Amino acid sequence: MPLASLTLRFIDRELRNRFAGSFTGGLWALIAPLIQLAVYSFVFVHILPARIPGADAPGYVPFLFAALWPWNALAESLVRSTTVVQENAALIGKIALPREVLVLASASASFIVNFAGFVAIVVVLAFAGNDVHLAGLAPAVALYVLLFALSLGLALAFSAIQVFVRDLAQALGQILMILMFCAPIFYDRTLVPERFQGWLDANPFTFYADAFRGALLHHGGVDVRRIAIAVAIAAIVLLIGHRVFKRLDPHFEDFL
Amino acid sequence: MSAPLVEANGLGKAYPKVHRNADRLRALARLLFGAGTGERYEVLRDVNLQVARGESLGLIGENGAGKSTLLKLVTGVLTPSSGSVRVNGTIGALLELGAGFHPEYSGRDNIAMAGALYGLEGADLRARVPEIIAFADIGDYIDEPVKHYSSGMIVRLGFAVIASLKPDLLVTDEVLAVGDESFQKKCVRWIDEYLAGGGTLILVSHSMYYVQKLCRHALWLRDGKIEAYGDVFDVTQAYLAYHERKAAPVPERAEIARAGYEFSVLGVALNGIDAETPLPLEFGATLRVRMRIRSRDGRVPSIAIGIVRADGTPVYGVGSDMDGVALEASAGGEYVGEVEFADLALLPGSYAVRVHPLDPEGVRLFDTVERSIVVRGASREFGLVRLAHRWLTGSASLRR
Repeated sequence: MPLASLTLRFIDRELRNRFAGSFTGGLWALIAPLIQLAVYSFVFVHILPARIPGADAPGYVPFLFAALWPWNALAESLVRSTTVVQENAALIGKIALPREVLVLASASASFIVNFAGFVAIVVVLAFAGNDVHLAGLAPAVALYVLLFALSLGLALAFSAIQVFVRDLAQALGQILMILMFCAPIFYDRTLVPERFQGWLDANPFTFYADAFRGALLHHGGVDVRRIAIAVAIAAIVLLIGHRVFKRLDPHFEDFL
Repeated sequence: MSAPLVEANGLGKAYPKVHRNADRLRALARLLFGAGTGERYEVLRDVNLQVARGESLGLIGENGAGKSTLLKLVTGVLTPSSGSVRVNGTIGALLELGAGFHPEYSGRDNIAMAGALYGLEGADLRARVPEIIAFADIGDYIDEPVKHYSSGMIVRLGFAVIASLKPDLLVTDEVLAVGDESFQKKCVRWIDEYLAGGGTLILVSHSMYYVQKLCRHALWLRDGKIEAYGDVFDVTQAYLAYHERKAAPVPERAEIARAGYEFSVLGVALNGIDAETPLPLEFGATLRVRMRIRSRDGRVPSIAIGIVRADGTPVYGVGSDMDGVALEASAGGEYVGEVEFADLALLPGSYAVRVHPLDPEGVRLFDTVERSIVVRGASREFGLVRLAHRWLTGSASLRR
C-alpha cells in the first residue's frame, strides 16, 4: 500500500472533516486566529495593558502570539491525535492498514491548519505596524518542522497508550494546561523569580517560545547548544514514540 | 505460483481478559515491558489451513465458533497470538456492514477512500469510479453522506468497490444476506464469474445454500477448532446433522412397555455391519437391515422399522405385519428379519434406523434399537427424499 498517498488521503479527509458542513470551509483556519488576535489585542492593550520589561521590548500582543500560536499547534495536535486510534476502531477492525498513518494524518492536519493561521497572524501583525520581521518566517518553518517531530512522537505514544488506558485523554488536558503556564508563553522569563527560572528549561516548549520570539521579534533567542538539545529531544521522542506504537499496535484490536 | 494463496499453520487467537480497568493497565505494562501473557480467552486454536489459488472455501459454524476471528486473522486486521498466517496476494475484504466507510462522507468520497486503502491511485481510481457506481446502482444516493444509506445500500457500495478491485482473494462475511433479491443474484453471478476467472473465495455464511452454491470446500469451526474440513457437501451435511441432533428432543422411552420385555432386540446389522458407528452410504445405494429378536415366551414377534432424520423427523416406517411377512425362527428362541431398501431415496444427510419388536398382533411395542446412517453425495435438493420426477419441458443439456 503506497504509504504517502494513503497519508495524503487521510490528511485530506481529516481537513475536510474539520470544516465539513461549514460554508466558508477552510477559511475558518484563517478567520479563527484573526478573531482571537483581535480579542487578545483589545483585552491586553485597552483593558489590562500588559508590558514586557526592557527598552526594545516588542508589544505584548506580538510577544504573546509568537509563542502562543505554536503552543496551540502542539496542544491541539496532541489532544486530537491521542484519541485517533480509538475513534477509528471501526475502520481498524475491518481493514488492515498501517495504523500509524492515522496518527500522522491527524497531527499533520492540526499543524497545517495551525501554520496557516500562524502566517496570517504574522502578516497581519506586520501590516498593523508592529516590529515583526517577516524574514523570520523562514526559521519559523524550521521550528515548526522540529515541533511537529516532537508532537508526532508524543502523539504516537499517547494514541497507542490511550487504547489501553482511557484516562490519558482526560489527564492530557490538565497536563497541557500546566505545561502551558510553566513555559514562558504569557510572560517573559525575566519576570520569573530567579529561583524558579532554571525550571523553565525543563519544559521542552520553553525552547520553542524563546526561538520563535528570537526569529520573528528579535526578542531574546536561542544559541546553538539549545538548538542541538531541542533537535536531540525531538528525535529521541519521535523514536521512542514510534517504538511504543509499534510495540502496542498488534494488540489494538484486542482492547478497542 | 505453486505456493498456496493462503497458508495458516497452528493459527490461534486468544483475547486477554479485561473485566476491570486495572487489567487494562496491567496488560499495557506487560506489553510494553514484555513479561508473560496473563489470563486469556482462547477463541481459535491450532488451525491449519491451505487455500490454493482458484479454490473456494466456505466457513461454517455456530455463533461464536471463531469464524469471524479467522477471517480477521486472514485479512491481517487481527494479529495471531500463536502460529502464523500468510496470504500471497491482494485481499479484498467485505467484513460486516460498511467495511471502513465514513458516515459523514458521500458515497463518491468513500469510494476514493476505499480505493486508497486498497492501493488504487489517481487516474486508475478515476477510471474505475463510473463502473463502481454502475455496479452499486444506488442512483443519486451516491452523492449523499453514507449515514443516510440503508444497510442494503452500504453493502451494494462495498461490494461494488471490491468487485472493481478484483482482488486475488475475496473474503466475505455474512453480508450478501442484506442485499435485496436482485442484488444478491448480481453478487452471486459476479462471484461465479470471479471464481471461473481464477479468483479465490473465503465465504462465511449460515446459509448452507450459498455455501454449497459458491464453495467447493468447507471448513466447520466448532469452539475455535476445526471440526471438519473437506468437500463442501460432506462438511455441510455433517454440520446440519449436528444441528438436527442438537434440536432433537431427549428420547422419551416411558411409552414403551419395557417392563418384562417379552421381546427384545438382540442385534441390528446394516449392510452386514453391526456397530454403533454411523454407516456411510452413497446416495441411491442399497440398505439392508438385518434384525435379530429374542422372544421370551416363544411367540413369533412382528417387527417395525422406521427411518428418521437425525433431529427425529420421521421419514418412513413400515412393519412386518403390514407387509404380511412372518419372521423366521432360528436357534434358541431367536427370530430374524431382514429387509432391503433398494435405491435408497434419502437425500444426503444423517438419519437413524429404528427397530422395534412388536407383539404378534402388531399392537404393543417393545424395546428400541437405533442405528445411524449418513447418506453422502452432492445435492442441493430440499427435503428428506428424492421424489421420482422428470421435466416435461426444457432440454437436458442445461442440467448440472
